[in-house]
Amino acid sequence: MMLIAGTVPIKDMPLTMGSVALEDDFLLVDGKRIPCTQGTGAMVSAALATTSYLGLNAPHALLVGDIGEGKGSRELYQYLIDHIAEISPNVLALHYWLPDMAQTRQLCTAIEKCEKRPIMIADAASMYSAKAAGRAESFDIFTPDATEIAFLADLEATHPAYINRHLFEADISHAPELARVAYENHGAAKLLLVKGATDYIIRDGEVLATVTEPDVPTLEPIGGTGDTITGLVSALTCAGLEPHEAAIIAARANRMAGEYARVTPATRVRQVIAQFPSVFKDYLCQWSKVCYVKGGD
Amino acid sequence: MAFLKKQNRVKFDGGGLVLFDEVQHAMAVEKVLKSAGYTVKLVAPPPELRKGCDLAVEINLFEQPGIERVLREKDMAYASINPIRIKTAPLIEVVKVTDFGKWVMVKAGNMKITYEKGSGVIVNVSGGGCPDIPYLHAELLDKQLDKAKRPKELGFTLCSLNLERAFDECLALYSGGDGK
Repeated sequence: MMLIAGTVPIKDMPLTMGSVALEDDFLLVDGKRIPCTQGTGAMVSAALATTSYLGLNAPHALLVGDIGEGKGSRELYQYLIDHIAEISPNVLALHYWLPDMAQTRQLCTAIEKCEKRPIMIADAASMYSAKAAGRAESFDIFTPDATEIAFLADLEATHPAYINRHLFEADISHAPELARVAYENHGAAKLLLVKGATDYIIRDGEVLATVTEPDVPTLEPIGGTGDTITGLVSALTCAGLEPHEAAIIAARANRMAGEYARVTPATRVRQVIAQFPSVFKDYLCQWSKVCYVKGGD
Repeated sequence: MAFLKKQNRVKFDGGGLVLFDEVQHAMAVEKVLKSAGYTVKLVAPPPELRKGCDLAVEINLFEQPGIERVLREKDMAYASINPIRIKTAPLIEVVKVTDFGKWVMVKAGNMKITYEKGSGVIVNVSGGGCPDIPYLHAELLDKQLDKAKRPKELGFTLCSLNLERAFDECLALYSGGDGK
């Protein structure tokens, strides 16, 4: 079972957990309608598109309303701390929330009580808090962008707003160097998928692969196209692919979906997500060498 | 025996400090922020960050903009808000502008706003990871730059502070004609 945890921009929506379904343009979780927009909504939508195509169980989502005030985030942390051992998911993907370093440490301790340690994935502020709390190495996959890899490399920074200027000004071509520093400083997960004009898949400081094609620069302005990569890599990992294989395919599929959708800077992320089934149909067999899955005909 | 069970107390680790020139201001701010629902703690700042008093209020640095707003609204005196780790750099002020022809994307820190040159309408907001960003994304989309509420009026976190910087630059470009 894959569990995705994060906040959604619906003020006062209570903590909600359940299997995810699609209803019109919305995600449906335990009767609550969640927009497929930038943030955890986009991530969950991309994961659902992947599991649906592969004929796998839909992801479970643990969501709470929080527009930045932090109350929902704290409830989400506490629920995970109290219940993660009994939920014991195969994959735990953490996303948007208001970072709390002390609660992050508690959560990492609680996860050790799971019967089998889940594959741990973090993006957005859950990645910030994992790094700031000194728990980055407890995670299997981080999916930073160019600014965020600079943040992971900065030993002292607790948020990407406060990073050394020389690190901030480094462009995506410096990702391998920044990743090496991040690993030295214990600020990186076991695998990094660095999202940018070139996507880098890096394990323990070594660049395993880069993805540059198709080149779709107009994906960058679209809110949620980083979140979709994290959703894809989470679902593909849950499907049994090795994390680095999942990361390579996620990076390729996201770019290809952008190309299929003929994105402009004004495109909405749901238009990109809508292309994933076509991309998988055309390429997943070739990319993964797994050609027998339902829907792959 | 439940009453003998040791309480598992979590040490607060906020990463940010509100600094003051007067000790009593720190105490007053602690009270106001606690009343507003924030988790805060009175602490002694490290010597490198002392501004003339030896008392500071530790905050969750991610909540800086929301806390600044509360202090402004309550007219509370303070000197500055700083990251607690002294080697950490000051807030990133650099902005990067990318021209996409009909659209302009402005990036400040980890946040990006893209608007249509002709109309000034915000067509996308991307980047970030704090929970107010999906909310700001929904609030800002399809609004004209000069009519939209500013990110600092709506947001609570450091990501929204970066978005405010991007927003400022977008407005300057749009109203100055460079981004039209």
